Amino acid sequence: MRSIVYYVREFLRPEWLKKFFFAKTAPLVTPSYFKDYPSRTEKECTACLSCMMICPAPGAIAVLRKKDGWEPEVYPGHCIRCGLCVEACPEGVLASGRILDVTRRDKTAFSSWYRLQVDDTLCMRCGNCCVSCPVNRQVDPQLAGTGTSASDEVIMRIEGGRVTILHEEKCTGCKTCENNCPNRAIRVARMVEGVQGEEAEA
Amino acid sequence: MSILQDIKNAVRSRSIHVSYVDVGSCNGCDIEVLACLAPRYDIEQYGIYVHNNPREADVLLVIGSVTPQWVDKLRDIWEKIPEPKVAVAIGNCPISGCVYARRGTLTTPPVENYIPIAAQVPGCPPRPTEILNAILSVAPLIYKDYEEKQP
Ligand code: SF4
Ligand code: SF4
Ligand code: SF4
Ligand code: SF4
Repeated sequence: MRSIVYYVREFLRPEWLKKFFFAKTAPLVTPSYFKDYPSRTEKECTACLSCMMICPAPGAIAVLRKKDGWEPEVYPGHCIRCGLCVEACPEGVLASGRILDVTRRDKTAFSSWYRLQVDDTLCMRCGNCCVSCPVNRQVDPQLAGTGTSASDEVIMRIEGGRVTILHEEKCTGCKTCENNCPNRAIRVARMVEGVQGEEAEA
Repeated sequence: MSILQDIKNAVRSRSIHVSYVDVGSCNGCDIEVLACLAPRYDIEQYGIYVHNNPREADVLLVIGSVTPQWVDKLRDIWEKIPEPKVAVAIGNCPISGCVYARRGTLTTPPVENYIPIAAQVPGCPPRPTEILNAILSVAPLIYKDYEEKQP
């Protein structure tokens, strides 16, 4: 008899009833360091599009024109939360989890450049690429129709009957040369490299 | 508001039977759904139970970007679930096709084209907490006063 009373009393304790009828573990929370969808910081976007170029997911990010300047927009349902755009943005416009803290601490960054390659077996030395390149034209307005140039500062010129690339680092990736090449001999590729330390700060 | 309906509401809010189907994903989301079963999340405290048989389910989790072979089979599965029922898209794949949404791939997203989707959980993959929150918030919307809402 005493044990029955004991059990009934035990089961009528409010804590026990609460434990029995309601969820027991802490509510489902997302930790603060979770690498969630990138959010915008206060920094100003320069519309360099580095974020869009590095994004591996189709349709995940777009840099949109807003009333006062540009703004990157991330689309859940497309974005895979890889965080590459956060790392790639040179202005720190995007933030997600601890990515910015870690890249600042480890001094890491993505550095990108354009690589120019001419297939000599396809190239017919017409010089279209050298003449059409907007950077070339600015450097040497007298660039001849054959693509030869007296200036050493041009990106590329025809030299000794073939295209010689002098200053790849000046290329802006506009691909005008690619579009003007009759033989698809010149190709422009965007290269990305992870760098750390002094290089990353530059 | 009948008492019977109140009882049904109370019971149903603690009895959410879930079934899942992978219609062509990378398996990442499957693993996150599996992680929901872990003691860390302890889904049975919320009254969520998992079944392999759609006939026993109320909630269908759809994972993956829908390969052509799945189109008619997915409809079959959906038809087998008794009313009231609800489908939840898990991950980016059923929403947009995610990284498979490119030219020339053998997927036909979004899953909305084939069965009605009540909730979407974006992410590649979504966290187990996001999946659980979606199930817990969508299920009462569908089941509460279900009989009274019928015409
Ligand atoms: S997090 Fe990754 S997938 Fe999402 S927008 Fe940025 S680069 Fe694209
Ligand atoms: S968000 Fe950053 S990387 Fe993207 S366009 Fe703006 S400045 Fe460039
Ligand atoms: S991509 Fe544009 S800037 Fe670069 S070499 Fe070609 S034309 Fe010149
Ligand atoms: S435009 Fe093409 S074919 Fe002409 S010189 Fe340049 S790379 Fe060669």
